[in-house]
Amino acid sequence: MKRITINPITRLEGHGKIDIFLDEHGNVANTYFQVPELRGFEQFCVGRPAEDMPVITNRICGVCPEAHHLASVKALDQLFGVEPPPAAKKIRELFYMAFFVTDHTTHFYALGGPDFILGPDAPPAERNILGVVKKVGLEVGKQVIDCRARNHHVIEMLGGRSIHPVAGVPGGWSKPVSAAERAEIETIASQNVEFALFTLKVFDQIVLGNPVYLDLVLSDVYHHRTYSMGTVDEQNRLNFYDGKIRVVDPDGREFLKYEAADYARHIAERVEPWTYLKFPYLREIGWKGFVDGKESGVYTATPLSRLNAADRLATPLAQEQFERFYQTLGAKTVMGRYQPVHHRLATHWARLIELLYAAERMQELARDPEITCPEIRKIPQSVAGVGVGCVEAPRGTLTHHYVSDDRAILTRVNLVVGTTNNHAAISMSIRKAAEKLIHGFKVVEEGLLNRVEMAFRLYDPCFSCATHALPGAMPLMVNIRSHGGETLKSLRRDG
Amino acid sequence: MSTIIIGMGNPVLSDDSVGIKVAQVLGHALQARPDVETRELWAGGLRLMEALKGHERAIIIDAITTDGGKPGSVYTLKPSDLRQSRNTCSAHDAGFQEAMELGAMLGLNLPSHITLWAIEADDVETFGENLTRDVERAVPTVVAGVMRQLALEQQLPAAGGGGSI
Repeated sequence: MKRITINPITRLEGHGKIDIFLDEHGNVANTYFQVPELRGFEQFCVGRPAEDMPVITNRICGVCPEAHHLASVKALDQLFGVEPPPAAKKIRELFYMAFFVTDHTTHFYALGGPDFILGPDAPPAERNILGVVKKVGLEVGKQVIDCRARNHHVIEMLGGRSIHPVAGVPGGWSKPVSAAERAEIETIASQNVEFALFTLKVFDQIVLGNPVYLDLVLSDVYHHRTYSMGTVDEQNRLNFYDGKIRVVDPDGREFLKYEAADYARHIAERVEPWTYLKFPYLREIGWKGFVDGKESGVYTATPLSRLNAADRLATPLAQEQFERFYQTLGAKTVMGRYQPVHHRLATHWARLIELLYAAERMQELARDPEITCPEIRKIPQSVAGVGVGCVEAPRGTLTHHYVSDDRAILTRVNLVVGTTNNHAAISMSIRKAAEKLIHGFKVVEEGLLNRVEMAFRLYDPCFSCATHALPGAMPLMVNIRSHGGETLKSLRRDG
Repeated sequence: MSTIIIGMGNPVLSDDSVGIKVAQVLGHALQARPDVETRELWAGGLRLMEALKGHERAIIIDAITTDGGKPGSVYTLKPSDLRQSRNTCSAHDAGFQEAMELGAMLGLNLPSHITLWAIEADDVETFGENLTRDVERAVPTVVAGVMRQLALEQQLPAAGGGGSI
């Protein structure tokens, strides 16, 4: 048996890696996806006052502190048994939309988009945001940086700090929105809507307009029929901040809809001996291994799964794109809703539709007269002792679960972060891409390797908080090993 | 002439926080220098480039892990070496070099002079607010080194014009 190792190393001894084992014919026998574990998060938190958590958990990771901050304050609302006033919830959501616009924009232009804009076979040194700017034009680079800057400004204005927000408190938000701030945010939101529409047009021209790329998106290499998870409002429309968790089966029928607090009744975690990663699955279906289909409890929580789990989107322009997405990809309808799209590379498109939704939702909230209401806090009066808070993070459903004593000192902490939901699906996607692309030892050309990478890049897995943490670029190492495990060939490149 | 000092790292991940701890000490020590701004940053790549915008000089302090490196060792690196420290790149957008190149292409006003102070970390996998012993001992060394660098630069004709102590 030969082994190929794809190593998203980060200049550290501990690092994530993908092992691809070949059989004696040089075909893929198995693949393993591993990342190192960071130790002691629960011990770090236990014994602290629960109200410290929104500012502790947002430090777990520099990538999505806003998502942790909100999941944490929602968990605290429950732990202190207090319902925030309507304006506080709206400010939280407004703040969150600014974050989503930034994160989705950055992913497309810097990480996901280059595979399409420059092409999957482009040299790695060009397949980055610089390559995008060189190809699409300097103006687009300026727009990306401007988009980030104006939304970072909103995040700082509402959240109190530019990177690690502090404004969320149990029972509400600590700072009202002034009339001047509201007006400024409305202008920014309108610019975001325009930019999202522009980005969708770029995607249209470059990907959908190119039959080669469309074939790639629709190819069997990146196809998996799994359950889809997402948060929906009472009308089954996607919502990032609040609602119930809905899971639809691979045919598009609702399988589950539950309150975040009930997550442990529906989600179980599989432990495998070869990795620290845990693999969440649907408890009612059970763990059947790394396989897809209706009989397997594997699900995904991604931009694509969120669209699949929702009946529609709550804003008009995004809803138009939603319709177009399912019609273009040939989805049929079942029970009056579109059947899920299972082409995993379509996640990139879904992410851009979410970008437009976030921008439009931001605009709606900025125009809501209640957003400047000064009643933004209900002071907790008691300690309920348990709290579960859930939001849709850019990379999947994020759950914070705290248990405390009657003085609100933490006794237990559990987090299920966005990427964790997708561990099984990521492993399966890597395996399938490897199986379809690697035959008879033919593996080491750059484009082929990149096509395997594309199978996990579409999830934008964030190891920072999933288990950890190794921030940094993602250089790749490929080792091809013989039966005995010795390295026959080694390929390495820097991210 | 303005200088930005950026301490990088995860503040609750043991030795990964050393850059932030150094920056905190420097922030207090440099309160009388209006030409020097000190801040903390948790993410590299585009974020770091954006934070450098508008400054003529930059000093970045970060943890590093090198093969066989002795915990607490201090390295001063040039921008071309920056890729090697822990937090200057982002897995979610761009490496530091790419980000700087993008900034330059877009005509952003980026520092012409960047120094990286990197401290060899021991434990970067356990959550905790404390540094390990040898890394803790390196903090005053780096603080003194950065202060010395700032004092020297202030005296240089090309660099010292705007200093206003």
